[in-house]
Amino acid sequence: MLKFEWKKVFSRPKSRIAILIMIAVLIVTSVLTINRVEYVDENGNHSTGISAARELRAAKNEWAGPLTGDVLQEVIAENDKINHSEEAQSNDIEKQDKAYAEKQGISGILSVISSAFSAYRDFDYFAADNVSSEEVTTLYDRRVSVLKDWLDSGQENYSQQEKDFLIGQYEDLDTPFYYEYTDGWSALLQNISTFILILALIIGFLTAGIFSDEFQTKADSIFFSTRYGRSRAVLSKAGAGFLITTVFYFVFVLLYTVIVLSVLGADGADCPIQLEMWRSVYNITFFEAYLFIAAGGYVGTLLASSLAMLVSARSRSTATATIVPFIVLCALPFLSRIITLPGFCSLFPDQLLEIYVDLKESALIEIGGKVMTTAMLILPVYTAVCVILQPVLYSVYRRTQIR
Amino acid sequence: MELKTTKLTKQFGDFTAVDHMDLTMTNGVYGLLGVNGAGKTTLMRMLCTLLPPTSGSITCDGKDIFRMGADYRRLLGYLPQDFGFYPEFTVRDYLLYIASLKGLRPAVAKKRARDLIFQVGLSKVADKKMKKLSGGMKRRAGIAQAMLNDPKILILDEPTAGLDPNERIRFRNLISELSEERLVLLSTHIVSDVEYIANEIWLMKDGRLLRRGTAQGLIDSMAENVWKCFTDRSDVSALIKQHPVSNIRTEPHGVELRILSAEKPLPGAVMTEANLEDVFLYYFGEKAGEEHAEI
Repeated sequence: MLKFEWKKVFSRPKSRIAILIMIAVLIVTSVLTINRVEYVDENGNHSTGISAARELRAAKNEWAGPLTGDVLQEVIAENDKINHSEEAQSNDIEKQDKAYAEKQGISGILSVISSAFSAYRDFDYFAADNVSSEEVTTLYDRRVSVLKDWLDSGQENYSQQEKDFLIGQYEDLDTPFYYEYTDGWSALLQNISTFILILALIIGFLTAGIFSDEFQTKADSIFFSTRYGRSRAVLSKAGAGFLITTVFYFVFVLLYTVIVLSVLGADGADCPIQLEMWRSVYNITFFEAYLFIAAGGYVGTLLASSLAMLVSARSRSTATATIVPFIVLCALPFLSRIITLPGFCSLFPDQLLEIYVDLKESALIEIGGKVMTTAMLILPVYTAVCVILQPVLYSVYRRTQIR
Repeated sequence: MELKTTKLTKQFGDFTAVDHMDLTMTNGVYGLLGVNGAGKTTLMRMLCTLLPPTSGSITCDGKDIFRMGADYRRLLGYLPQDFGFYPEFTVRDYLLYIASLKGLRPAVAKKRARDLIFQVGLSKVADKKMKKLSGGMKRRAGIAQAMLNDPKILILDEPTAGLDPNERIRFRNLISELSEERLVLLSTHIVSDVEYIANEIWLMKDGRLLRRGTAQGLIDSMAENVWKCFTDRSDVSALIKQHPVSNIRTEPHGVELRILSAEKPLPGAVMTEANLEDVFLYYFGEKAGEEHAEI
């Protein structure tokens, strides 16, 4: 039965077009992501894509290793040297590019230093240029102290438990960081949310007709008059929806990941995300962040397709069901901008596809004295909603009457 | 095998589609004859567990069919009036899918589908998509799906609707062939569909069973005689107003009418043998069935 349900979905010309669109989206998004990585050669020439990634990777990996005080001092010295070079001092942009070219290997480390020596909510791109060799060794301590200063400044509305949570998370972060080329992961994480959103909408479109097409094709009378029409056949429909969602989601996410990382490089998987997201409260690596984003996207996609199937079973209209993923994943973010309850809006299901944003700037929530990020809350909550929706879907469809 | 309805009633708001029907069916072919809107489809949908009754019950060998659920539906083959299918499926895939819904094991389903495809004459188009088939072929695929589980109860709702005369005859013969050792309920508003193959004909009107019996029994039940008469064209409209007319045939020198009347309608009228179409006209009238066609 499951095989036939699968066949029903993919024999529709509209479904085939949707898959072709998804393949086109995969190609375009991969190209755009790959082109995010930029490299400037010693002559000041800019390049993007495969060759840029190769060169940048080589340059950065020369500095690969733990970011200890000694290494940080070396970086400050190197930066100082480049800043005082003739090229850097010149007003000629071409020469400045040549100077920048020399900085690319340490650019990631300089970015971390600039983050540490900027105010909590700011980022001064040139802050690293003014940090002394002695000061830079306090980099990890500054991460905690700047946070504490900001929390004490009264510019925020955190409760004491939330403050304690933030400080605790900051203090728990393992230091020194391990530094290496992470631009492949960075580019991947920055673009994956948009890719997942489009994927979720297309999966929603594919699954929207699983239940309602019986009515649209007028095959419902025969379907429900068969032995298993109100039992196993309904389960196989729900199973097909789950399978299509899961297989499509993971195949396309995996394809996107493999394409991007095979071109840009998968180095830096074990580096802490603070190399890229200095203020993040999540003490995780780039690879763990990727899994977190992918898991959020999967639950969001599963929720959208489950709701689409429920509406499809209830309304008997594929067109109505197709709109559901748009409402869940696209309309709610607009609603978030209109209504003035930011805490409440951060619990909307569209946030499942915005884990990347949450990694950078987490909204906190306190439940029963326990503080957590909203992403840590909505992920299990919406997973439970997905699980609960399955028997509801089964129950709604099996009680269908043909008038 | 006994299928029985007791005071079976179905209401849609204020409208009563099926009104306190008491029926008992055993093996054989039952022809349900009625105009559009008589309640035939609603009755059949209830018999197929697609629609619960408002009141009354349906039992199969004494057990409520809605409680029996899957156990009842495994005995059932159904061809609905609006026969829907999956347009992108081939005939073979379609039958294999329905076979899986009916709980047939894959190996059995393959053999059964192959045999039925042959039996209904679709061997040449077995691997063609359903959407490419002609109306008659689709109906034959429909009867094949209904027969997949070798049902003890076969319910066919307007199976010949939309078919050309040749296809109708072919379909009728097919149903006749398949009707052995099972209970077949065949609904139609086309008299000739049931005239020769039904063991018992039920006349249904306004949700009620008007009369039941064999074709001959129903013919005999008419209180009026059937007359053939030849008249001038100018007299036709007056005669139609006076008597039910079951047939009008224009000839070079006038019009031949088939009239239902207790008395001789015209001096030259000749009494003739009545048929089921006359019965239909007698019980349902000429304008019946213009409302509630979907019921």
